[in-house]
Amino acid sequence: MPQHDRTSQSPSTLPFNFVPQEPETAVENNPHEKATTQVDTVISALEKEFTDAIGETVVYAGERTVRVDASRIVDVCVFLKDKQGFNYLADLGGIDRFTEDDRYEIFYNLVDLNDSKRIRLVIRLDEEKLSVSTLTGVYPAANWNERECYDMFGITFDGHPDMRRMFMPEDFEYFPLRKEFPLLGVPGSLPLPPQEPTGELTMDPFPAAHGSKPPKSFEEVQTTDGDEG
Amino acid sequence: MGSDGAPQEGFLTTTVDTVVNWARSNSLMPMPMGLACCAIEMMAFAAPKYDVARFGSEAMRFSPRQADLMIVAGWVSYKMAHTIRRVWDQMADPKWCIAMGACASTGGMHRCYGVVQGLDNFLPVDVYIPGCPPRPEAVIHALMDIQEKIRNEYSVAQDGIFGKEQPDIAPRKPSIVTPDGKDTISPSGLYTQ
Amino acid sequence: MSIINDTDFKETLKFWPRHNEAIYRRLESKHSWIEKTSSGDGSPVDALEQEMVLNIGPQHPATHGVLRCVVKLDGETIKKCVVDIGYLHRGIEKIAENKSYQEFMPYTDRMDYLSPYSNNVAWCLAVEKLAGIEIPDRAQWIRMMMSEVARISSHLLWMGVGLMDAGAVSVFLWTFQAREDIYAIFDEVAGARLTVSHSRIGGVATDINDVGFNLIKDFAEKFPASLAGWEKLLNRNRIWIDRNIGIGYMSAEDVVAAGMTGPNLRGSGIAHDIRRFEPYLKYDEVDFNIPIRTEGDALARYFVRLDEMKESIKIIRQCLEKLETIQGPVRVEDAKRAYPSKNDVYYSMEGLIHDFMYTDTGVSPPKGAAAYHAIEAPKGELGFYLQSDGTGTPWRAKMNSPSFSNLQALETMMEGAQMGDMVIMIGTIDPVLGEADK
Repeated sequence: MPQHDRTSQSPSTLPFNFVPQEPETAVENNPHEKATTQVDTVISALEKEFTDAIGETVVYAGERTVRVDASRIVDVCVFLKDKQGFNYLADLGGIDRFTEDDRYEIFYNLVDLNDSKRIRLVIRLDEEKLSVSTLTGVYPAANWNERECYDMFGITFDGHPDMRRMFMPEDFEYFPLRKEFPLLGVPGSLPLPPQEPTGELTMDPFPAAHGSKPPKSFEEVQTTDGDEG
Repeated sequence: MGSDGAPQEGFLTTTVDTVVNWARSNSLMPMPMGLACCAIEMMAFAAPKYDVARFGSEAMRFSPRQADLMIVAGWVSYKMAHTIRRVWDQMADPKWCIAMGACASTGGMHRCYGVVQGLDNFLPVDVYIPGCPPRPEAVIHALMDIQEKIRNEYSVAQDGIFGKEQPDIAPRKPSIVTPDGKDTISPSGLYTQ
Repeated sequence: MSIINDTDFKETLKFWPRHNEAIYRRLESKHSWIEKTSSGDGSPVDALEQEMVLNIGPQHPATHGVLRCVVKLDGETIKKCVVDIGYLHRGIEKIAENKSYQEFMPYTDRMDYLSPYSNNVAWCLAVEKLAGIEIPDRAQWIRMMMSEVARISSHLLWMGVGLMDAGAVSVFLWTFQAREDIYAIFDEVAGARLTVSHSRIGGVATDINDVGFNLIKDFAEKFPASLAGWEKLLNRNRIWIDRNIGIGYMSAEDVVAAGMTGPNLRGSGIAHDIRRFEPYLKYDEVDFNIPIRTEGDALARYFVRLDEMKESIKIIRQCLEKLETIQGPVRVEDAKRAYPSKNDVYYSMEGLIHDFMYTDTGVSPPKGAAAYHAIEAPKGELGFYLQSDGTGTPWRAKMNSPSFSNLQALETMMEGAQMGDMVIMIGTIDPVLGEADK
């Protein structure tokens, strides 16, 4: 148990007050640093080849995240695949930064299987122009990941062979992972099945909460016209 | 035993009832609508250790036309709800439904846009099983509850004789009997030991 | 005879002609139609009018979850397949943005629900990487051992269900009986059979007591014998080999291009395992092999997974030996990084306050920090990419689930294959829709 000397400290300096961790403590000697993310040579090669398209590189927990210009991402990936040997796309995803400009961010997680290297590229997209070229020509594995990005954020990928939604049905009109989309969803955006076998779709997401109960199997469905049998 | 009408007719229909209900309850054919983690516990409930075959429910029929008990195991997404409803509609009467697990009963831990907060929003559920996932013993308990419910049902024959107005019989809770079989113990009596 | 004369089958159906004629006449209903290679007057038949579209719906007996394949069939050959997932989508990535790092642990259990312990470990490691938390040695060995038990559990279910789908139901019963032993282990160690949330950020929830230790020891001793018995039945079984050989062939280039991971990569000759690629926990201190096969078909993946089970037993034995010698805490003793022990919570004021503060604010990694950590889950590379905003809840938690990456290749795998092999192909990829659909 850590010993706390409380005799000389005022309450505001007690160790368990909420204080975000200082970046330095997690950067140096991060016990989970891996050797595969030491890719400084690759980054310098990238900077030499694409001087204007490569932005700053963030180093955290041993990982390198390279900022790339959104319009040149395909060229950068072609260079990495052909010249630097990054033949495997591990992951591709979107992030909603919820800032006024450059709201969306897409990260690409590329792996070199033969030399054991892993690098992360990041591009930023603006809300006004929410599209970027697809990576399926370079890495066919990007197919479903880009569809998921479209489904969750609304980012379209130009040239994608199959630009459909991934998880939500095509009838769904919203993009769930955007920060303004409420966690519980928009009532009525997804219809429920009808309450009786021949009926209309239920638009209320919680009909049971309002007392409506689907008829039991052995009860007859109440019809308005007369009584039958 | 019959409420109105000639004693002979009531005796006949309730005897037929008993036999029919006995047959139905001991030969429930579950249709496993195994969606997620509860499906794994449902498979364990059919596996040798918590054998459900001894309850007559060995024949897990994946075709709705051949089954009479639908066990919905796992969270129901909005996309899947229509499929489940179509499958339910294809099942022939009499049919019962078990909502297995917290997610099927009320949406469980998934309070979000993708999950229907409870099966009873579009399906008539007979038994709800809490748990995440419920142990196979809990699923067996639910199956026994359904069997109890079936045993207390009145037959369609009574509809024809006595008309549609029937008293709503609440299912009788299983009683705990003493070892000699003569007296019943109320559950509160058990905790005094 | 006219129906059969128009088809390709007229040479092969010379025996039982009246029987087959009657069958084909019954087939000519509005729900299916027979392929004709030539119409009555000799002109070629439009191929597009003669293919059948079959919906292998989200509810089907091959219990790999709710996967929907819409296939266009030309006879028994699948011309094109469209895989439709999303029937189990909950939006846990959105839920993660509203829960603290520790609160999210039970959601990870329900992702790959065949081996929940691996998912817990993956999440814990990702958060620990993000916040720079080092975990005590004993906790690392416990996590490693339980992850390997979870790997065996997942592969056992794969084997049981895969063989049940192929028709051999008895193997399902045997493997589930073995899984009950594993459930007894998890029950004793973690308190729950299936959805354990035993791993905590900063370590493990509780230490393993003697009962649990002996259960794992007995399992490690008895399991290889049962596995050898099943291998004797299956490894040289004519039927099983015929059903698997050549099915679902993916060459090494295909499999890397498609982004597949796990035993699918290793069955095609790519030597990639996160335990060797980016060693985590104590995998660089145990001695084990990574089984690799080069054939690239379903049989190769079957052997890869079988051998992986044997290697897991090896790892478990080494962990058991090590755990007898290493003593120590099972959670890091830093109040801002991990929960205090229950003893401290109940009997000391600081422990109680730390417990409250940890639940309330939780681990607070630096603002703007981002980290990705992957583990070798039984299905493949399971990774979490976490972005922090300085508070106790993540800003973005992206889950890189192996089943999602693997299912992409199902569409290419099915093209040109026979309808009867579809179930084997889905089984050999071993998808779990809970994690594929997030």
